[in-house]
Amino acid sequence: MSGFDLMAPLMFAGLIVFVLIGYPVAFSLAAVGLGFGFVAIELGYFPFHLLAALPDRVYGILSNELLLAIPFFTFMGAILERCGLAEDLLEGFGQLFGPLRGGLSYAVILVGAVLGAITGTVAASVIAMGLISLPAMMRYGYNTRHATGVIAASGTITQLIPPSLVLVVLADQIGAPVGDMYAGAIGPSIVQVLLFAGFVALVSIFRPKDVPALPPEARTLKGTKLAWTCVRGMVPSLVLIFLVLGTILLGVATPTEAGALGAIGALALAALHRRLSYRLMRESMDSTMRITAMVIFILIGSNVFSLTFRGVDGDLWIEGMLTDLPGGVVGFLVAVNLLVFVLAFFLDFFEIAFIIIPLLAPVAKTLGIDLVWFGVLLGTNMQTSFMHPPFGFALFYLRGIAPPSIRSSDIYWGAIPWVILQLIMVGLIIAFPELVTAFIETHEAADPTKVQIELPTVDDAPAVIEIK
Amino acid sequence: MTILLKLSAAIDWLSTQVGKLAVWCVFAAALISAGNAISRYAAGASSNAWLEIQWYLFAGMVMLGGPATLRLNGHVRVDLIYGNMRPRAQAWLDLVCTLLFLMPAVGIILWLSWPLFANSFAIGETSNNAGGLLRWPVKLLLPVGFGLMALQGLSEIIKRVATLTGHREFESRYVKPVQ
Repeated sequence: MSGFDLMAPLMFAGLIVFVLIGYPVAFSLAAVGLGFGFVAIELGYFPFHLLAALPDRVYGILSNELLLAIPFFTFMGAILERCGLAEDLLEGFGQLFGPLRGGLSYAVILVGAVLGAITGTVAASVIAMGLISLPAMMRYGYNTRHATGVIAASGTITQLIPPSLVLVVLADQIGAPVGDMYAGAIGPSIVQVLLFAGFVALVSIFRPKDVPALPPEARTLKGTKLAWTCVRGMVPSLVLIFLVLGTILLGVATPTEAGALGAIGALALAALHRRLSYRLMRESMDSTMRITAMVIFILIGSNVFSLTFRGVDGDLWIEGMLTDLPGGVVGFLVAVNLLVFVLAFFLDFFEIAFIIIPLLAPVAKTLGIDLVWFGVLLGTNMQTSFMHPPFGFALFYLRGIAPPSIRSSDIYWGAIPWVILQLIMVGLIIAFPELVTAFIETHEAADPTKVQIELPTVDDAPAVIEIK
Repeated sequence: MTILLKLSAAIDWLSTQVGKLAVWCVFAAALISAGNAISRYAAGASSNAWLEIQWYLFAGMVMLGGPATLRLNGHVRVDLIYGNMRPRAQAWLDLVCTLLFLMPAVGIILWLSWPLFANSFAIGETSNNAGGLLRWPVKLLLPVGFGLMALQGLSEIIKRVATLTGHREFESRYVKPVQ
């Protein structure tokens, strides 16, 4: 293939340029893939029938049962956002921890974790907490940057805590079982919550004025009334957590079905709160359909791209570059994490997951890296893509609902300590892989996801991977 | 131009209507999938047809919802540069890229995907799973979806041209889709 070596790098450069100019990513990807595909056919890289396999790949995506979890978790998040659960939780925990310095921050972190264990989408958490906690924090004199930072970060933690959408997508792209990814993410989630809480504790010691305790007159709920509010928030949450996470970990339901159960459960909860209406249903379904179509079209586009990219041996090119890095496995991990961190400044996690991860996963496999661990590691790192100024989604939502008196620059600066905490978490996972792996062994149970419909795979890329 | 704008409005209407179908696929799929889990656990009963219908609906969500999402400018962009462009420049970029990227790509996949459906229909292909479903309806969704996408692309082109020639107001509001 000498002489043609430029094709893959050229294609990669084309990808970067065409994605960056700002046309919808799905179509830019497909166009780059097809454009270079026809050139490659002309130059004799591969025969035309390789491209004819495209519809089969699209069909393969559409018949992938795991990807069905995307609309279900999105639907569930969209309903929860509108059903009043977060309000109950925040009110209860805010009052419970209020007397402590930093109490409202602890409440936000805890509620973020609970919401994270229920749903898989960041929007639901950040918007709810921003609407309820942010005004309260402002009223009682919290530092603006601290308040916005803790809300954005606690909303983002949803992406690490199972059942997270990021982990579903990563599992699909890496080829690891979702159940294992979920089990593996439990340890890091707990440590991440503790890291956040520890940071708040430090702030309350060293900069107590940033996180004042609630004044006595603000503690309106006491005794049984307070307990009742907490219970009213926690009981439905626990039921939902069991419905989703419990059924997955017990092996009763596939992650996809668990998402569906969760969505129906969320509807029931909305009915319980007397918020269930045609409008709520319609809005939730509407936004779910749009997100699903948007995400899957990116995946279709990236499949078109990768079909050609592999046809011109781009995978070998990437693999060669990444395996030759100094430092072997550690060098690879550092490079990959730096790459994802930097890309996260301007790409969303879906884009990273669908474009970059398929290029990295085979290399990780070649290097003998545990793929579940690798996936959780990347998932942790990808949290930062929600927190990067100025395009991070969590900040973006917060900006959307924060009062104008809060400056965007405060939101951006406020995010930085939390991004650092997330990066510390990435370091911890690399340093102590047991954080992830310890939880996987305990649950090697049957994974009903794997026994499903047989896809008529017409495997396209003329199996190129030969290791020299 | 007026005729073209009418055509564009008709296409937009069609995409919206088809999009409504896709919206209901969300709810139907969630109900069926939850029902599958419950019936398997509670009654030990499981049916391949019901398992398959859920991803048929998923395919419906994507292929029928894609064009409506395009109409709403809901396909995610990297707005590093785009976000700082003036509306006129954005309209130009959309016009050129829809012509050069979207239309050819969608057209080629549409053309390639027709045989997938036609073959399946001709042989009356059914699922390999016992009690599985006929395959051609879901395979038909590919050419239909990409066809509608091409139509919607045409409508977007008309709208951008109308905008740039002063026949239509600028409306290049792009809101990042919520995740």
